[in-house]
Amino acid sequence: MTTITDPEGGLAYLRLLHLADSALPIGALAHSFGLESLADAGLLTPARVPDLLRGYIEEAGVMEAAFCRQAFRLANGDFSATRWIAINQRLDARKPSRESRNGSAALGKQLLSLALAVGELGVLEEAWLLSRQAQCPTHHSLAFGLVAGALGLDEEPSVLAYLHQSLAGLVSACQRLLPIGQSEAARILWNLKPAMIGAARNSRTQAIDDVCCFTPMLDWGAMEHPAITTRLFIC
Amino acid sequence: MLELEFEFNRAAGRTILAASRQQTPLKVVRAFAVEDGSALVHLHNVSGGVLAGDRLELRARIGAEASAQLTTTGATRIYRAAEQALDAVQQNHIRVEENALLEYVPDPIIPYAGARFRQQTSLHLAQGAGLFWWEIVAPGREARGELFAYDRMQLGIDIWTPRRLITCERVRLEPEATQLSSLARLSNYRYWASFYICRVGADPTSWLAAEQKLRGVASKLAGEARWGVSTLAADGLAVRCLARESRSVLQGLREIWNAAKLLLYGREAIPPRKVN
Repeated sequence: MTTITDPEGGLAYLRLLHLADSALPIGALAHSFGLESLADAGLLTPARVPDLLRGYIEEAGVMEAAFCRQAFRLANGDFSATRWIAINQRLDARKPSRESRNGSAALGKQLLSLALAVGELGVLEEAWLLSRQAQCPTHHSLAFGLVAGALGLDEEPSVLAYLHQSLAGLVSACQRLLPIGQSEAARILWNLKPAMIGAARNSRTQAIDDVCCFTPMLDWGAMEHPAITTRLFIC
Repeated sequence: MLELEFEFNRAAGRTILAASRQQTPLKVVRAFAVEDGSALVHLHNVSGGVLAGDRLELRARIGAEASAQLTTTGATRIYRAAEQALDAVQQNHIRVEENALLEYVPDPIIPYAGARFRQQTSLHLAQGAGLFWWEIVAPGREARGELFAYDRMQLGIDIWTPRRLITCERVRLEPEATQLSSLARLSNYRYWASFYICRVGADPTSWLAAEQKLRGVASKLAGEARWGVSTLAADGLAVRCLARESRSVLQGLREIWNAAKLLLYGREAIPPRKVN
């Protein structure tokens, strides 16, 4: 096993930091995943942001982490075209809101494209071509898991990094929707880290066919988003 | 176990309940003819509710061209489970054949204090098949002031078309273990409902127009409720409702059902007689 002091381990660590950077140019800043509707309806206030994000991570976070793990293991095992399409279609079916589904697919596609641009990783190219041929979306958590697995990173830090990147994106969306300053945003994200660890831990034992997710208010927000006349976000 | 088979009877020009196999506690008395040629069946639980340890199974097949409506005789009450008792489990296996239609419009599920219930539904829709399927979950026996006092409710649904899985919902509510009042979950609402509207093979571009149309219908609904409408990954729409009381949920679902039926089938929905 490599450690961070080995050249190989250090490289893996830096690559993970790069992948999980909230500024990674995959378009994450364009999506609020329903938060804009909640703010527009006056339901999401600065005081309710931590509660909302904790609920998000306990539900959607665990579900996405379970899918992220599956893709990670796919990259590290026998990559199968059928399985790659099937898990993307299953996650697609788990997302009842059109805009959130499309948003997740847009981020996944961009991430896979970016990873292909920076390195030659056969499994990523195969996944990219398969998704195009089958006209199947590539969802963000699955793309993240696949890329991390293909890069030879460790599973647990990769899942945590995915969760951290997702939450950082949502906190950033909240900052643009609500009067939340930089320090407060940093504090919110800082305090959510134990919840991210809890979600990653819970996802270890969850099969993707059974993992639960109950976020009806977020679903409502995402479904209602097309009805907002002036919007900051695509979804 | 309850098995139902509906067939379209060409001579009569309407759907009939061609076969049924019944095992207590699930029963149906008979099928009623609906004005539009559908067959209406009331699902009846002779125990008066779902008891801990129950293993209930509903199997239904709607034959090609047939049109069936299923409803309940009243709310599905989930009774308290003793600590050592097994969870109550219900499995629904539904097959809707070519150009058939199923409308499943039950009353709410009411979990009593201490109830534990798991329900898993799998729906297979053939080419041209249509579906209107809703579930409403109440917070408990509100009149007794019993709110979110159940132990656990777990509901799952898979809808398959010949091409792919179009929706997959897995929900677990554990009021003690999770904060249901989170803004991600129910916030300050008590009731929630999922409604799936499908027709396999309908023009894919028409779903976006249907989404907009039904969003417009939902925006005019009365009552303190939130309604969301969205296209599914293919062949249908999902509707979500959060409400403070049950009346606005049922009324809203009926209005959306009616509007969707007009859009997809060019005729109005006919609510089963007991739906109020």
